[in-house]
Amino acid sequence: MLEVRGLSLRYPNGKQALTSVDLTVQPGELVILLGGNGSGKTTLLRCLTRTLTPTAGQVSVAGRDITALSGEELRQARTSLALISQHASLVRRRSVCANVASGALGHYSSIMTSLGRLPRAEMASALHHLDAVGLVHLAGQRASTLSGGQAQRVAIARALAQRPRAVLADEPVASLDPEAAEEIMRLLKRLARTDNLAVLCVLHQVDLAYGHADRVVGIRDGRVAFDLPKDDLARERVRDLYISEAA
Amino acid sequence: MTTVEERIRASGAPSRLGGKGISGAIQFTVFLVVIAVIVQSLYVVEARPQDLITGAHGMADIISRALPPDFSKFHSELWPTLETIDIAIFGTVAGVIMALPLAVLAAANVTPARWVYYLARGLISLCRVVPDLVWALIFVAAVGLGPFPGALAISVHSIGMLGRLFAETIEQMDMAPVEALALTGARRSQVFTHAVLPSVIPSLLGITLYRLDENIRSSLVLGFVGAGGIGFQLLSAMNLFQYQEVSLLLIIVFIVVLVAERGSAVLRAKLS
Repeated sequence: MLEVRGLSLRYPNGKQALTSVDLTVQPGELVILLGGNGSGKTTLLRCLTRTLTPTAGQVSVAGRDITALSGEELRQARTSLALISQHASLVRRRSVCANVASGALGHYSSIMTSLGRLPRAEMASALHHLDAVGLVHLAGQRASTLSGGQAQRVAIARALAQRPRAVLADEPVASLDPEAAEEIMRLLKRLARTDNLAVLCVLHQVDLAYGHADRVVGIRDGRVAFDLPKDDLARERVRDLYISEAA
Repeated sequence: MTTVEERIRASGAPSRLGGKGISGAIQFTVFLVVIAVIVQSLYVVEARPQDLITGAHGMADIISRALPPDFSKFHSELWPTLETIDIAIFGTVAGVIMALPLAVLAAANVTPARWVYYLARGLISLCRVVPDLVWALIFVAAVGLGPFPGALAISVHSIGMLGRLFAETIEQMDMAPVEALALTGARRSQVFTHAVLPSVIPSLLGITLYRLDENIRSSLVLGFVGAGGIGFQLLSAMNLFQYQEVSLLLIIVFIVVLVAERGSAVLRAKLS
């Protein structure tokens, strides 16, 4: 489970990027985060991955507050939180299977893994994860040969290899065509259910949010504007999110 | 309401008409400076084309004395030739072994700390700015005549050349896979071997092959300062006026350089 309590962040230049954000994602739930450019979505995600350190508040992943951690403890805590970003960020010269298996490295500390070897057990489960995203037939190919949609599915398989409790997705479909985007969203939703993951996904496409979310959280000017089950969410409230940006 | 023209003018952007006159004057000044630089170089090197014409006779004399090449000495030149090639191989391998860790410390995007970065950059620069011939002189003074000082000189100079190119390759790599792996909770050493190395190794190999080619050329010359190999044979033959041996040595040099150049190019083409 992913739990955010009273999260605030003020940049050194004095800009208040986030103000007292509360947010909970239950295991098995797909929550979609909507907001205009500059609303604080990206800052929020960076606080969740602890690329940025919030000025106040807590982020708990599987019951552990990661805002208080640093060094080796933070590294260990990160293994339970997977990030899927806009670009698949695969190592292009390695095989698809090796890319997936490398997601599990955080669980290993042997010298061999530091020398560039992948744990043998992980190669087998990498195939399993590739099967879950429907790409097991591409396991032996180089990552550079994949299409954008395929690469993003491999990135999801890599996230699964990490054996996370929660998954963050930062505009995972921004560079994909509508069909591939639809497929990625279906996949995220299915994995939330089958692997009992807490999935938080930032999107720009309102229709995808309505199509796949369990719950939609709107964020505006660094504050939570609404946090509602999809079925209770009126279109006007979503439109309001973007209006203040246009003015 | 202001017009578009007024807003553009207020923005301070250079207007095209005004800009042309200024750039014309600059162009003319640059032209004059370039001419002045060329003329002063002719004066400083004491360029006298007529000397080439009057010297033609002497050159013809040397060439006639160098022909035909003395192939009876061929067997005794094989060892120095191997020495020359091995100096380059030793220098390249030793250079890579020392340049790689230095380059990692000297790449701004993966260096562990700012002061380490400057220290590594400084070491690499020091190895590079001192020419290999000067390194050879230093090592000849330190360990005596022979191929070993040559091999050391090539190693140190290679650290400088390879270190900079390796560091630049690492700096230009796509950092997204590196950051992605770091966020999965992988250790620093794992991120390095699983994300950094696989992305840069083909480029590093290409740079190394190119360096090997360059090192074979430098090791041919290093013999002139007593650092072994074919250069030393060339120097001795010249000093003893054995011009037929000199021409044989030049043929060998020609073949070695050509084979190294082509071989390195073919291997590099295979890599990419």
